[in-house]
Amino acid sequence: MSKTYYLPQGNEVELFKAAAGMNLPILIKGPTGCGKTRFVEAMGEELGRDVYTVVCHDDLSAADLVGRHLIDENGTYWQDGPLTKAVRNGGICYLDEIIEARKDTTVVLHSLADYRRVLPIDRTGEVITAHPDFMLVVSYNPGYQNVLKGMKPSTKQRFISLSFDYPKAAIEKEIIIKESGVESTTAQKLVDIAGEIRRLSDSDIQEAVSTRLLIYAGKLITKGFDPYQACMHSIVESLSDEEDVLDVLEKLISLHFTKSLHV
Amino acid sequence: MDEKVGKFWDHYVTKKASRLFKEEEVVFTDIAKGLKIFYHLLGGEKGKELHITDKRSIKTSRTLLEKFSGTGKTFFLAWQDEKGIYLPATLAYFPLKAHNEMHYYWLIAMLANVNIKRKNNTHENTNALNGLIEKYIGFHEFYTYAHHYLREHYPELSTIEPSIEGSSADNYPNPLWIYPSLSTSNKLLDSGDEEEALRQNDEPRTSETLQMKKKTEQIEDKKETDGLLLFLPESIMSLMEQVRVDRQENDSYDEDALYNAEDLEEITLGQKDANLSARIKMDLDISANSVEEYPLGKGHFIDEWDYKKEVYLKNYVCIKPIISLHTQPIELPKRLQKMMRRIQSELDLMELDRIKRDNLPYGDEINIESWIDYKGHQNRSNHPQRFFQTYERKIRDMSTLILADVSLSTEAGITQEIRVIDMIQDALMVFSESLHRLQDRFAIYTFSSIKNTKVNFHIIKNFKEKYSDDVRGRIHAIKPGYYTRMGAGIRESAKILAKQQSANKLLLILSDGKPNDVDRYDGRYGIEDTKKAIEEVKKKGITPFCITIDIDAKEYLPYLFGRNSYAVIRDAKKLPKVLPEIYMNLTK
Repeated sequence: MSKTYYLPQGNEVELFKAAAGMNLPILIKGPTGCGKTRFVEAMGEELGRDVYTVVCHDDLSAADLVGRHLIDENGTYWQDGPLTKAVRNGGICYLDEIIEARKDTTVVLHSLADYRRVLPIDRTGEVITAHPDFMLVVSYNPGYQNVLKGMKPSTKQRFISLSFDYPKAAIEKEIIIKESGVESTTAQKLVDIAGEIRRLSDSDIQEAVSTRLLIYAGKLITKGFDPYQACMHSIVESLSDEEDVLDVLEKLISLHFTKSLHV
Repeated sequence: MDEKVGKFWDHYVTKKASRLFKEEEVVFTDIAKGLKIFYHLLGGEKGKELHITDKRSIKTSRTLLEKFSGTGKTFFLAWQDEKGIYLPATLAYFPLKAHNEMHYYWLIAMLANVNIKRKNNTHENTNALNGLIEKYIGFHEFYTYAHHYLREHYPELSTIEPSIEGSSADNYPNPLWIYPSLSTSNKLLDSGDEEEALRQNDEPRTSETLQMKKKTEQIEDKKETDGLLLFLPESIMSLMEQVRVDRQENDSYDEDALYNAEDLEEITLGQKDANLSARIKMDLDISANSVEEYPLGKGHFIDEWDYKKEVYLKNYVCIKPIISLHTQPIELPKRLQKMMRRIQSELDLMELDRIKRDNLPYGDEINIESWIDYKGHQNRSNHPQRFFQTYERKIRDMSTLILADVSLSTEAGITQEIRVIDMIQDALMVFSESLHRLQDRFAIYTFSSIKNTKVNFHIIKNFKEKYSDDVRGRIHAIKPGYYTRMGAGIRESAKILAKQQSANKLLLILSDGKPNDVDRYDGRYGIEDTKKAIEEVKKKGITPFCITIDIDAKEYLPYLFGRNSYAVIRDAKKLPKVLPEIYMNLTK
């Protein structure tokens, strides 16, 4: 298996390793598509631990994390959930978009996220002490404004926090080249476009263009797509549905990747 | 006959001389909004407004034809100062519309890159355009084309070669360049900064004065035909000044104002002018069965935060709850019904959001999991026999209070016909309709203030009252008030919200500018008091959220509300549509 590509933006790798060494849980904040999930996967490989990823949603129950009874021809048997698996065997349990989960669900993490490091399973009456290699990582996007959602302070304060943002221009360029295989000048243009779009205020577009979208654009271009078209489909259309905003973004793209005026 | 020929000749020559392509003309106002976003995209300062520029006259070599016709002396050039950027009203140099439009975008890009503080204009422009050409292929193409085209077809503009050191760039009217502001380019005015400031202050009012001039001219015309001198145009001007009513005192309005108003053909009103209050009062007076503002009690006192002393001024502010009586109940206006239909589809999505409840002793379906649990349990007699599940509509358990700022500044116009206050009214109607359909609990209040002694707190709908035509009538009757003592409005709303039983409480503040009042409640004092009030709100477990149409709000709102608790709406006309959307996003 090829190694997952990850280019560090700052001290996050050292911090993650230190936290892993001390059995501390980690909370990653950052906008969509800035590399949160990729970072966790890369760190899992680096540390040689399995990553159990759970994408949270508002119907996620504690049983989905911990496990449940199932039936086969011999009757019922207990099936571990992803969290329990990681706790038993060691590994990184990564809960993506944790604020999407109901607040009462995340409470099962409490005893795992502090010095106790145990997971009580009330259905089987078992109390599992976490494997020394077990590590809890959660992430969320603080950009979404929502009154009803948010992490309980008591949950939040059990984690070491890492704040992610879009990578700096030079790093982002390198990432785009590596991931999509476009040539350097095109990558630079994509980064320029992103820099300009990210200047816009959130009243115009809900969230700025992510590194992921830039990579998509790069991939389309490497596949032989016209750069202008590639950007329109991967960047512009994904960002807004408002016509006046779309027009301006289209203009911006056409300045970078000319769709000739004389045609 | 001679006259006719002369006119025809003049028309012909002017047309011949102006080689602009009128059919392919691009009008500034059509694309202004896009241009503004584009300006921000390229890193232009967010505080600057986009304006249309006046002509400026420039000495240049004119063609023979132009000398005949008298055109070519003046040019519309793009320029900027500390407050805004100024662009020609129309552009039509090129035979293709696409190029003329591109010309606007080019100017915007140049404006975003030229530093106005630098003295050497030629140098700045050359630098900026080289930067643009290098970075953007699109601009490179446009510039190469435009540069050649202008040289070929507008020889008088062809002296656009970057000039030799020492010669002023003013002599070369290059439509692709950015020029220094009018006041600084005028050598005579260079002497004093004061004069320049005065000049800048005058600029926004140009249109107003123009309109007034027009009026006087019209009256003069009339005078000539009638042969009857009713009054001198000068007296009109003085009447206009008299109409200004002291807006600080509610009851002492100038009785002559109404009389004068009838005399005047039209009262020209600009933004934020004192005259406005006169108009409001006239409105109130004209309708016979007018809406009555009925005070509920004598008012009560609340505290205010003094940041200098770092103490609460106890019972410092007087809140006067007011309700409008005799309002006409109205149905949802047609235009808003149309909007509601569009929003309804989004509301439906919200309603689909249902929650599963399992482990119930009875319910709609059997929950197989709890049954398996039961089967797998060692000691079944101890295990509860709750095998059912049911889907319920999610109870949102939410109370929302909307506090709208209806200070005088909401009287400002967005377009000729629409004022900010109209949009606030529309927004409140659509919003309450949406919340009503979602069956969420809500209340609406508006406030405006004159000093600490009088903070009018209008009740539009409280939490208990049912949403009805009366509520809409009261929304319709909202009138712009005085100033914005925001801290007081927020504290009073928080008090009301705190009494509600819901688990989630939301305070939505609809504002159009910074907190301010006529006393010291301005600048830092107002900001600090509002910040303190917000902190109190949060302590009470209420979530505050501010929606503003003030573009500059980014400077102070993060400080007041925190990074994620506000939204700036660039286009006030979108307010009715955006408000319910923001609410749904907040509570999804």
